[in-house]
Amino acid sequence: MNQVITNSLRYILPGNMQRADIITALRSHFSIEERDKSTDSISLIDSFAWGLYEKGFIAFRYSNNNIKIWHADELFDADQALDLYGNNSPARFWWDFEDTPERTLLEKSLGLRSLLSLYEGVLAVEDFDLQDASGKTQVFLQFISFYSAASTDKPLLLQVKITPVTGYAREYEQAAELLENAGGFKPRLNPADSLLGAIGITPAPYTVKPDLAIDPLMPARSAANSIVSQMITKQRLTEEGIIQDIDTEYLHHFRVALRMTRAVIAQLKEVYPEQDVLSLKQRFGDLARETNHLRDLDVFILDKPRYLSLLPDSLSKGLLPMFDDFETDREKEVQRIGKWLSSSAYKKEIDELEALFKNGYPAGETAWSEKPSIELAISKIAKRYNKIQKSALKITDDTPDEAIHSIRIDCKKLRYLLYFFGSLFNKKELNQAGKQLKRLQDRLGIFNDLTVQGAYLETYLDEIEHNEKKDIGLIAALGGLIATLYRMQKTERDSCISELHVFSAEKNRHLFTHAFAARGTDQ
Amino acid sequence: MKIIASYSIKGGVGKTAASVNLAHAAAKAGNRTLLVDLDPQGASSFYFRIGGSKKDRGHFFSPKKKRLLKNVKGSNYKRLDILPANLSFRNFDIMLNSMHKSKKRLKEVLLHLEDDYDLIILDCPPNMTLLAENIFIAADIIVVPVIPTTLSERTYAQLLDFFSAKGYKRKKLYPFFSMAQSDNKLHIDTIKSMDKNYARFMKSIINFSLEIERMGVHREPVLAYASKKSSVQAYRSLFNEIIVALNKK
Repeated sequence: MNQVITNSLRYILPGNMQRADIITALRSHFSIEERDKSTDSISLIDSFAWGLYEKGFIAFRYSNNNIKIWHADELFDADQALDLYGNNSPARFWWDFEDTPERTLLEKSLGLRSLLSLYEGVLAVEDFDLQDASGKTQVFLQFISFYSAASTDKPLLLQVKITPVTGYAREYEQAAELLENAGGFKPRLNPADSLLGAIGITPAPYTVKPDLAIDPLMPARSAANSIVSQMITKQRLTEEGIIQDIDTEYLHHFRVALRMTRAVIAQLKEVYPEQDVLSLKQRFGDLARETNHLRDLDVFILDKPRYLSLLPDSLSKGLLPMFDDFETDREKEVQRIGKWLSSSAYKKEIDELEALFKNGYPAGETAWSEKPSIELAISKIAKRYNKIQKSALKITDDTPDEAIHSIRIDCKKLRYLLYFFGSLFNKKELNQAGKQLKRLQDRLGIFNDLTVQGAYLETYLDEIEHNEKKDIGLIAALGGLIATLYRMQKTERDSCISELHVFSAEKNRHLFTHAFAARGTDQ
Repeated sequence: MKIIASYSIKGGVGKTAASVNLAHAAAKAGNRTLLVDLDPQGASSFYFRIGGSKKDRGHFFSPKKKRLLKNVKGSNYKRLDILPANLSFRNFDIMLNSMHKSKKRLKEVLLHLEDDYDLIILDCPPNMTLLAENIFIAADIIVVPVIPTTLSERTYAQLLDFFSAKGYKRKKLYPFFSMAQSDNKLHIDTIKSMDKNYARFMKSIINFSLEIERMGVHREPVLAYASKKSSVQAYRSLFNEIIVALNKK
């Protein structure tokens, strides 16, 4: 990065001003030479979750399928652009780009998300040199105009930037003064936000986690309703992306949102009438189950490189027909799910459920429905934590796998409670407790994944065993893979057990009981 | 930060043209570059439309970084700065002679700029004085323009002998053919024999070209106004070769 020239100044010209006004003003002191000029059709890109923007970056796709990424403060500064070169056309995921150090930034910002085109525009950059009579450049000047692709008559944003030349500080100050006197003003926003404002795009970062501030005294049912309402909204935001099959994260988040909704209903069941809880569980559960198969396929296909790497080269080729099967299956499932999400049956069902919770769930009071939410939170978190604690202490090397899986499920329930009610507790303590829980969950998660994957592959093996034509290579590879996963699962089990001992240690117990003790109301 | 010197015992062999164009190519490739005009005639400063530094005469070897940077001027090109020549550079040797550790002085001074520049290019005066020895120590690479004639070959051999005699690293020397004429039989033969007899000759050959001669009229690096001409592009490939060589160091 260039460190010599860091103190450029940017001005925005008001709508009634043009480049010519500025040039006229500067001519009183400088002779002006045009050096360079470029015009490009570009499109603003980011993921559905605005992953780049969230990390302080803004990116554009150029007509050659390459993209340029800028830090928000350095937008359109040619020296500061990070260039990424698309291998596939159109390059939508981070892995579609050439493997360069810059790609890591994309990987970290996008994860599994696809890039989307958010705005089509035209960028014109004109470079001028402000010189003295002998032709020595004393200040660099740049006009940056951004137009809508639909109309290039008048720029939506016109910026002028001056950059000093070493040894010509006085001239630089003079140019700045001339620009300000002519009407250029220093923007209050960074260049990226100035541009987004000018083109009328408001970044709407998406995260599936609940982000609610619940009042400690809010009645428990109202609190539960607001969580469910938010989760249904988040679920519905993913529908279009699933239908268009933009990336696998839409479906993943659709399912996470549903899982959170179901967790509210199952875990806070006392706030709703007993007879309703069963049917609500059933209805939301049906929605989730519809997507089980597609998600399984997504997970396997995303993990393809890892599976292949687990086997020696001679065997791993054998797996390819299985992945071909999965891909074909996936195509069909995507079609089916797309149709289902667009169906009036789905729409009617989700509209009905959404309305129910948005309208305050009109039903008779229950023992818990009107109590302060803080009381419900404390009681639920304590109960769940104690259950985990008790089971963890009982774990030995002889404990059956099922017991470990059941602790994992309790951990997940506890995690969701922390999501729902996090705003009621001390943030620092919440984060500490959350971190300990996450550590344990990660370990248990790996153990569970290995178990589930092994079982899935065994089912697949059962299926192909009945095929008339036996693919020996595939069967051998599957056998090898199942055995490998089994061995990994055994090792992982030991790690889980030691992690459970860490989690249930005295220090952690103190952390949890203190963080979620009954003292939330006075905060 | 790396230091490249453009040096020759002989004058008029294309030393300054190389410094100026290498500096331009370096900056264009994204390096923060400082061209130090050590030649009192100030030709490279002239090519960048910068006059000699008037103030602070004789303070070049000041241990104070601020004082050194005060004389630096930006060129018309981004990332390319010039430390202009100064007629008092004639006194370099007198100054150096009066200083302790005088052969390492230049290196010490330039190391002050480590955070400010990626590359420093030294345009050197054609002589073999104490300043030259400072240059030999300071530079990571010394590019030596050689006109492919018998006389130039002898001068280059003298330089190698001098390096051996004084214990300087001959591996720093990277000669390249300069002002070569592709229709001149003597040139062609000399290129062939020198290529065979001397190590590290650069593959890029800077041919004699009117475009390059006209730099004085344009007062710009030839890469800036005739970058598409093949005779001119050779500077760019020479720069690329230098970078490869530097990366091996």
